[in-house]
Amino acid sequence: MKEQTTVNKTPLIAITGQPNTGKTTLFNQLSGKKFKTVNYPGSTVEYSVSKILSKYAVNANILDSPGIISLLPVSPDEELSVQTLFNHPEYGTPDIIAVTVDASQLSRNLYLVRQLINSGFNVVVILTMLDLLHKKGFDISDKKLSEILKCDVVKVNSMTGEGIDNFLTSVNKSIQQLGKMSENNSVKKNYPLSRENLLKSYTEIEQIEKDVIFAANIPENINETDLVKINKELVVLNSPGSFQKPDEFTLKLDKIVLHKFWGLIIFFLTMLLMFTSVFYIAAPAMDLVNEAFSFLSESASELLGDNWYGNLLSQGIISGVGSVLVFLPQILILFLILSLLEDSGFLARGAMIIDKPLSKLGLNGKSFVPMLSGFACAIPAMMATRTITNKKERMLTIFIIPLMSCSARLPVYALLIAFLIPKEDALTGGLTLTLIYIFSIVSSLVIASVVNKFSKSFLRTSDNSSFILELPAYRKPKLASSITSMFSNAKQYVVKAGPVILYLSVILWVLTYLPNYDPVVNETGRSEDEIVMLKNSERIATSYASEIGHFIEPVMKPLGMDWRVGVALIATFAAREVFVSSLMVIFKVTDTGEDNQNSLLSAMQNATFENTEIKIFTPATTAGLIVFFVFALQCLSTVAISKKETGGWKIPLMQIVTFTFIAYISAFITVNGLRFFGVE
Amino acid sequence: MNKHKITDNMKTAADMKIGEKARIEDIDNSHPSSHRLMEIGFTPGQEIEMLNKTLFNDPISFSIRGSIIAIRKNEAASIKI
Ligand SMILES: Nc1nc2c(ncn2[C@@H]2O[C@H](COP(=O)(O)OP(=O)(O)OP(=O)(O)O)[C@@H](O)[C@H]2O)c(=O)[nH]1
Ligand SMILES: [Mg+2]
Repeated sequence: MKEQTTVNKTPLIAITGQPNTGKTTLFNQLSGKKFKTVNYPGSTVEYSVSKILSKYAVNANILDSPGIISLLPVSPDEELSVQTLFNHPEYGTPDIIAVTVDASQLSRNLYLVRQLINSGFNVVVILTMLDLLHKKGFDISDKKLSEILKCDVVKVNSMTGEGIDNFLTSVNKSIQQLGKMSENNSVKKNYPLSRENLLKSYTEIEQIEKDVIFAANIPENINETDLVKINKELVVLNSPGSFQKPDEFTLKLDKIVLHKFWGLIIFFLTMLLMFTSVFYIAAPAMDLVNEAFSFLSESASELLGDNWYGNLLSQGIISGVGSVLVFLPQILILFLILSLLEDSGFLARGAMIIDKPLSKLGLNGKSFVPMLSGFACAIPAMMATRTITNKKERMLTIFIIPLMSCSARLPVYALLIAFLIPKEDALTGGLTLTLIYIFSIVSSLVIASVVNKFSKSFLRTSDNSSFILELPAYRKPKLASSITSMFSNAKQYVVKAGPVILYLSVILWVLTYLPNYDPVVNETGRSEDEIVMLKNSERIATSYASEIGHFIEPVMKPLGMDWRVGVALIATFAAREVFVSSLMVIFKVTDTGEDNQNSLLSAMQNATFENTEIKIFTPATTAGLIVFFVFALQCLSTVAISKKETGGWKIPLMQIVTFTFIAYISAFITVNGLRFFGVE
Repeated sequence: MNKHKITDNMKTAADMKIGEKARIEDIDNSHPSSHRLMEIGFTPGQEIEMLNKTLFNDPISFSIRGSIIAIRKNEAASIKI
């Protein structure tokens, strides 16, 4: 048995409740954190703990957890929540359980509340989404509900902070009583889970609902036209059971969005628009970042002169980091669009539309949102699969998530597309990017279905495959909070990728600069620029990087690449975004009066196999590189999270082997196939 | 045990047309999702309305207890109306 240490430790308030009822919104208000709050049931899949902000003057920790339907979990995220409630591995049993209750869907929410109360928890009920209830023309009596449930009930709007003080008053009162509580007042899973009990509970809840919900009052002093309008509404209000009707606007919009034909068109157009706009909207901002870094690296080089440290700073560090940050605007826009989509309520519909096709491939409609967020980053995406009930479907989703073109691939694709297609032609560029995305989705689905065919040998489960998803009411996406979440995502991206890019740029620079750092060249009759160029190419040809590169060149040759691309590719197995900065460092992009990105492009254009005139970067080899990046699993963090989420090395190892193999073979086929058809 | 088993000739929620309303009679106990369906609000006596079917007539969305819930066709077939 666990020691009773309630007296000394900081009290723990756990927020729980049905999915999509505003738990994280409340948690963010109280803790000052900025976790994701979106209009999709199952947006939180991990618990998080924080101290309540000091301005609220309550000394307690607050815990956010994934939403649950009942205390009988059916999916990994629900299991995590229920375990947290009964005995958190680190914090023990929470002292207070704050249950968020969506007042516009009262009966379904009260089911969980009653289970919690019957289990002996110290429960405070938080009524949320009151604005939605009011929109339906109804109101709720918190006092009556409190009397019936025999626990505190408070009305809170977590978005505005309205009512939070009432919640804190109630919390403070409970905390004071904590010390006085008797030892034997422990929680246990003592609610019967039988069908009879469930039905009895719902019968009682229906009575409670009738007692506490009432038609909203007609405001005093209104003018005549309003009165006519209200009278009309009253007819609707008084029709029996109108409280049980979902949001009107949502019902109407669903007729189009979930239409058999139009729904599909809207679905694909939305996806298409998302990927193409990433390319367009970002262009001006990218130019700005590019020019800023070019200016920086030029000034550094002028200031420090042509020596090793000037070289390291301008060519190693600044252009290395800059070459990747250029693509930050695209990543920002991808994050923004994703979060606006999530917040509108559209994603739950997307999951429903795509459930049938995905289930044919061994996946689930609930794989859709994790797959989509895989376009931003595989790590949260793999965690998001916790909402999938069926183990096999979940493992398969995790398996193919690395194939979703995550934002780290964006810089690589953008550079290679810029190489293939002139910058002025933004339309073709955008379409090419969309094509790459479509190609990656299609091939991931093909791989999923193939793996599914052979899955019996390594994924032994026979769980029920199920799809039960609440479709939340549509909401106007909150631009402000989407922008906040965009920036916090971007910050994570920079914090995660930044140091890796920096270290690898420096390491690569060292490898390309040593040991022959001051090569002797024939200077007679050559201009100063030519001498610098000659020295550069002599230095790198005799460098450590070249030694490593030549070692792996036999592997690169069949793909039509030389050792320099090989060195850049080796670097990408730590993190793929490093590819661009590696090329930048390896091809020693020297100051040619152009900005960094353009000079990298012309360096690529001019690069030839050593002592020959044969170009390295041709349309065929560039396409081969793109295909390589579509498949290759080049991210250590993804491997780590895959091991954690699948509970072993089997799946991550399978992913590494399969995806590297497919990447190499299909790049080979692309390059040589294109050449066969006359494309160089 | 299987007194809530549904025989083939009974009408189920999977047979409803768009816009059709019906009252739930019973839930088939033998379906693995039956408990979750009841927990989420599909209990005998409740009125449901079929709202939308997607391309392959599967999944189907219903209005129940003021919420919209999408479920698979085979799950709807365990709801007797
Ligand atoms: N209209 C309205 N929307 C709200 C209110 N509180 C939160 N929301 C919105 O409801 C959505 C869900 O909020 P979250 O805080 O993510 O809900 P959650 O309970 O954490 O959801 P899960 O993590 O999926 O279980 C978000 O779009 C919020 O902005 C409210 O009082 N009224
Ligand atoms: Mg949440």
